[in-house]
Amino acid sequence: MSQVKLLEVNENSKLFDKTGMFFKEFDSDFRQIRYYTLLVVQKAPTEIKEINLLEQQISEIIKNAVKHGNKCDLKKKVKVWYYFSKDKAHLIVEDEGEGFKDLEGWNEFNKKRIECFLNQNFEEMEKYVSYRTSKSDDHDSGNAMFAAVEYWNGGVVFNNKKNCIAVLKTFPKKKKGIDMEDMQ
Amino acid sequence: MELKVRKFSSTYIIDVNGEMDLYNSYKLKELVLKMIEKKIDKFIINLENVDYIDSSGIGALIFICSHIKKVNMKLQITNIHGSVKKVIELTKLMGYFPISNNIDQAIAKIEQKPMEAQG
Repeated sequence: MSQVKLLEVNENSKLFDKTGMFFKEFDSDFRQIRYYTLLVVQKAPTEIKEINLLEQQISEIIKNAVKHGNKCDLKKKVKVWYYFSKDKAHLIVEDEGEGFKDLEGWNEFNKKRIECFLNQNFEEMEKYVSYRTSKSDDHDSGNAMFAAVEYWNGGVVFNNKKNCIAVLKTFPKKKKGIDMEDMQ
Repeated sequence: MELKVRKFSSTYIIDVNGEMDLYNSYKLKELVLKMIEKKIDKFIINLENVDYIDSSGIGALIFICSHIKKVNMKLQITNIHGSVKKVIELTKLMGYFPISNNIDQAIAKIEQKPMEAQG
């Protein structure tokens, strides 16, 4: 039985260690979310981009910060720290919003969703395909974090205020030995 | 993203071309709703030419799938591949979405008679 992955709250997590990470700051312009994402993901080696899966997963985190955190208020900033190598992708995104208040509710919701999936009960799953709150609008799909919590296999962690998220993905090393370029 | 509709027998195939993202996925929802208004009840959404999908695109597919299930119409999603398939797998929707490998298989599933469906 696979364990249900959770969104964590742990300000002291090592995932918040920004040492050696690159940094960019963006306005909260909804129309620019994919552009902001491209500015970040261009630093990643091709091997870990998985065509555009890494880009897509980063764009979801940035979108949450721009839209749900900063409510697309252009005066508010989104701060992004990022580091990529051939075996990991590490991202920290901070907004100026109130924080993800219903994080526990989300974990509960996702737990029920996973149960439906494991039991292949797709009729019941109908209730859990989209996570919505009173603040959701018609454009909110309510499924981004379902994939995120699976994709970011090194953890999805929030600070105490829940307005800053750190995620990590590790990639298996494909080849034995060390690439010669790394020794130069 | 560009949407083109073609018809085979009584099934309407929507060919989606391009990226299904947060800026354009609503167009697919709107198209399907318009088609339902025109009494169309058999749909294939062909994702052969879609190489990028985000949660908004997934959300559009969930909306359509959920709506069509409720009103007892027929839907198949075909030709998912690459990162589109990956995102659907990560979101654990492989069993929830009615997925066919290709258009032929989708048409066979949609056009099959109820008796055959039981077999």
